[in-house]
Amino acid sequence: MPLSFTPVIGLEIHVQLATVSKLFCSCSTDYIGQKPNTNVCPVCLGLPGTLPVLNGRAVEFATKTALALNCRVRNRTRFHRKNYFYPDLPKAYQISQYDLPLAVGGYVELTEADGSKRRIGIQRLHLEEDTGKLVHIASDGRLSGALYSLVDYNRAGIPLMEIVSAPDITSPAQAKEYVARLRQLVRYLGVSDGDMESGSLRVDANISVKVSDGRWGKKSEIKNMNSLRAIERALEYEIERQSSMLARGEEVEQETRHWDDAAGVTRSSRSKEEAHDYRYFPEPDLLPLVLEEGFLEEIAESMPELPWEVFKRFEEVYGIEPEDAALLSERRDVAAYFEACVKAGASPDKAANWIKTELFRVMNECKCSADDFPVRPEALTELLRKVEQGDLSATAAKDVFGLMAGQGLRLDEAIKAAGVSVGKVSGGALKDIIDEVLRENAEVIEDIKSGRDKKGKKVKFLQGLVMRRTKGQADPQEVSELLDESLNN
Amino acid sequence: MELWKLPAWKIAEEVRRGNLSASQVVESHIRRMESLEPSLNAMITPMPEEARRRALAVDEALSKGTDLPLAGVPVAVKDLLCTEGIRTTCGSRVLGEWKSPYTASAVRYLEENGAIVIGKTNMDEFAMGSSTEQSAFGATSNPWDLSRVPGGSSGGSAAAVAAGYAPIALGSDTGGSIRQPAALCGVYGLKPTYGLVSRWGLIAYASSLDQVGPFSRDLVDLALVLEVISAYDPLDSTCVPGSRPRYRDALKAHDLKGQRIGFLKGYQDFDMDDEVKEKLAFALRICQEGGAEMMEVSLPVSTGYGLPCYYIVAPAEASSNLARYDGVQYGLSEEGKSILELYLKTRGKGFGNEVKRRILVGTYVLSSGYYDAYYLVAQKVRRLIADEFARAFSAVDALIMPASPTVAFKKGEKLDDPIQMYMSDLFTLPVNLAGLPAVSMNVGYSKAGLPVGVQVVAPKWGEMEILKVASVLTDAVGSPKVAMGGEG
Amino acid sequence: MAISEADVRRVALLARLEVTDEEARSLAEHFGKILEHFHRLQELELSEVDPFSLEGPGTPWRSDEAKPWGGRDEILSEAPRREGDFFVVPRIVEEE
Ligand SMILES: [Mg+2]
Ligand SMILES: [Zn+2]
Repeated sequence: MPLSFTPVIGLEIHVQLATVSKLFCSCSTDYIGQKPNTNVCPVCLGLPGTLPVLNGRAVEFATKTALALNCRVRNRTRFHRKNYFYPDLPKAYQISQYDLPLAVGGYVELTEADGSKRRIGIQRLHLEEDTGKLVHIASDGRLSGALYSLVDYNRAGIPLMEIVSAPDITSPAQAKEYVARLRQLVRYLGVSDGDMESGSLRVDANISVKVSDGRWGKKSEIKNMNSLRAIERALEYEIERQSSMLARGEEVEQETRHWDDAAGVTRSSRSKEEAHDYRYFPEPDLLPLVLEEGFLEEIAESMPELPWEVFKRFEEVYGIEPEDAALLSERRDVAAYFEACVKAGASPDKAANWIKTELFRVMNECKCSADDFPVRPEALTELLRKVEQGDLSATAAKDVFGLMAGQGLRLDEAIKAAGVSVGKVSGGALKDIIDEVLRENAEVIEDIKSGRDKKGKKVKFLQGLVMRRTKGQADPQEVSELLDESLNN
Repeated sequence: MELWKLPAWKIAEEVRRGNLSASQVVESHIRRMESLEPSLNAMITPMPEEARRRALAVDEALSKGTDLPLAGVPVAVKDLLCTEGIRTTCGSRVLGEWKSPYTASAVRYLEENGAIVIGKTNMDEFAMGSSTEQSAFGATSNPWDLSRVPGGSSGGSAAAVAAGYAPIALGSDTGGSIRQPAALCGVYGLKPTYGLVSRWGLIAYASSLDQVGPFSRDLVDLALVLEVISAYDPLDSTCVPGSRPRYRDALKAHDLKGQRIGFLKGYQDFDMDDEVKEKLAFALRICQEGGAEMMEVSLPVSTGYGLPCYYIVAPAEASSNLARYDGVQYGLSEEGKSILELYLKTRGKGFGNEVKRRILVGTYVLSSGYYDAYYLVAQKVRRLIADEFARAFSAVDALIMPASPTVAFKKGEKLDDPIQMYMSDLFTLPVNLAGLPAVSMNVGYSKAGLPVGVQVVAPKWGEMEILKVASVLTDAVGSPKVAMGGEG
Repeated sequence: MAISEADVRRVALLARLEVTDEEARSLAEHFGKILEHFHRLQELELSEVDPFSLEGPGTPWRSDEAKPWGGRDEILSEAPRREGDFFVVPRIVEEE
């Protein structure tokens, strides 16, 4: 019987929290694009004699996430020191949580391709501080072969929330889905921007492969996966690599491997000169982390509706197709925008359609959020109403929308600026336009009159020109009648 | 008038009244320091010029009507308290000429009240030692006998106060580093309750044990300085919020009626100098005559196991606290082809033997496979010690114990035998393990003329209590004398 | 309990301390003596003792406000090796 291979995957995710100051000092967390070593102070540089003071907001954010992940949050926990030497770690220890994490035992529910539900367990969620950054570039800009590395501590001390999943994930697609759900959640909660490319959300994977003959390979830890796609590809590669080794009867080594996105392979990290021995012990510079009476209740009360709840409601209450409901509930700002349209009187279907095409297109261009999108939901609803009443064609409405979004015009101003009159172009006005078109297309008229338009294509062509010139504001029936009239004269 | 002999409160009073200028006071102390320093080596960095400048500024502020309770009072500061713009060495080579861009809160509080730092005092490297011989800047001599040690690790601060460089000094106490040198130099030394005084700017040895505290030759000065340095500081998360009592009020006590004073059961059988035992008995008699009810207390875990417990807990924390001295951001940095080589060489060269020993012990007891057998066991014993003291203090208000089992010993005598050296702190370190306050004070002199001290220990936040007992003892034995420091 | 020089070297590497052969020898001896001392702790009954209490007040919480610190130049000027705004270390082979 041929062997079969089952992957066993667990993910460790580090999420930078969107606090304005660092975890244990008052330095700004706004470090992207900053001059090196500017967001630093004696505390986050670990200078002698300095001491940490905990940022309460970081605790709030981590707690909020933990509750949303159905975790059990503990009222009393503590911080530990994780000791190791590395130049990006100023104190030579990281303040983290160890034996008593802030939260344990939650789950995320995923929907499989076939619609079935699957729960991925969360083992723990804890707070810790980020490290600085090493830059491996020589002064002359050479990328490799530099004789030295440069250290920037701007990132050192930014609060991180580490979320460790149970080894419940059984496919790369599932892993990707799990990360996507978590990223969506932290964005919904406003506790992180969740950006993978810039490193706000970093994923490490532990993966091993179980063989149907009872063998079980050792796990590797995969690092450096900087997008959802990378996670999927790296895990696919790794399953293939481990499975084929096991198929050949080889041993899989326990090691750390790096995903090389360009080459599409994982590579073994150059082995370290010693095994890690972090010598954890309770951080004596901090007292226990205590959540006061009522704190959890307060956090629970401030909890927004969660993305999966919003999704469900969009499906059930508004009858939106699952695919559209997923799109609309992906981001909290978009979901809120959609609902505001519906509340203002838009039909859910029409609003959904418009948002997933036009709103997304313009938002992509301006990189703005739906919260501060220049066309407010009420205005969009009004626009949609005009389309529905036949006052504006779909084409004209898009132009009007573009002007409202791009130049911040009010609906009436935009309609004027777009040169589309409200109501249909008909009667004399339409006749004028038709005459104009006919004047400009004398040859076509010749063709038609001389009977060379047997299939009526040329008449259709002229109708199209007229419609375009009226920006779709004419009734096609009327255009057809008036055009016939003129051609027959 | 020899201004350097005045207590701090008197200096402040005269300077505030305009009878003396801060500059005069500082000048007198600088001269005293400069004349004795060649024989004592109590300072790592004397700061005469900075002190003169500060004195002018204090005089100027007073003339503008600023109220400064410690106006013009010179203070010597242990060289592990950061002082902005002046190097802080911790008695080590590893920090090089590093200057902190901030000042330790305890020092800042003193300066804000008009005190003037006259220099940074010598110490055992990173406060690891009991003799101030293990300093990269040479040993300090005991001002009562130059061939002997002043105790440690705050030996420079103790010697400076004993010899009159300054009426007050700051030290730090992790296992007895204030109280033992205070006893050996014949001055007051107070180790506050853990959490009373801010540790911001105190370079850490063992964070869960370290406390900043004052030295003085006058009990009012001790209480006064404690009032100033114990202000709550949000920069230290372990510093306990709330206001502090006016500690000087404790000194109004002239008897101990209604007080229950404990002493160690069978203390005569402990391994101590006979003269230390005699003076301890003398102190107990004073308490009894002062009306206290005397009670035997037994502390078998603290006295029997405190030492090994301490020498696991403190080095464990130290191994982590001292890991940052790696030659990347500041201080000594050796060349290395790899980062590992740079670390190994910098740290190998930067630290002295005792510091290396403790870093290695600390690393070992935390390392995988040994944590449970050592670190965890020691933390459990620490808990037992705290509980044992708590039980004792349900029966007594204060305890009188030896501050050091011996008088000042000869230089070099214990250097080759670390464990003998560690024994110096046998009676002081359980107090740190339990987080309690204690004052060490002089109760007389040996036949050879060496000071002998005892310590008074109280439950947490019992600073008023220990000062009360110290006050009654002082009434009987008198204030400490100024040591001649090899002069005359 | 005997401690070998190899033990000392293992711990010294973990602590990033260069030790000479001579030091390793004397430290091994010293370690042995100290550890012997430590073993006395095992005489105590400790099974019921909770060493890390979570009792008492919690660590204070700071409010989340960013306050820039003005002294970076002083800190950079202490750097043993510096390039522009960076601290400099020997080339790190990318490992994590
Ligand atoms: Mg982590
Ligand atoms: Zn900072």
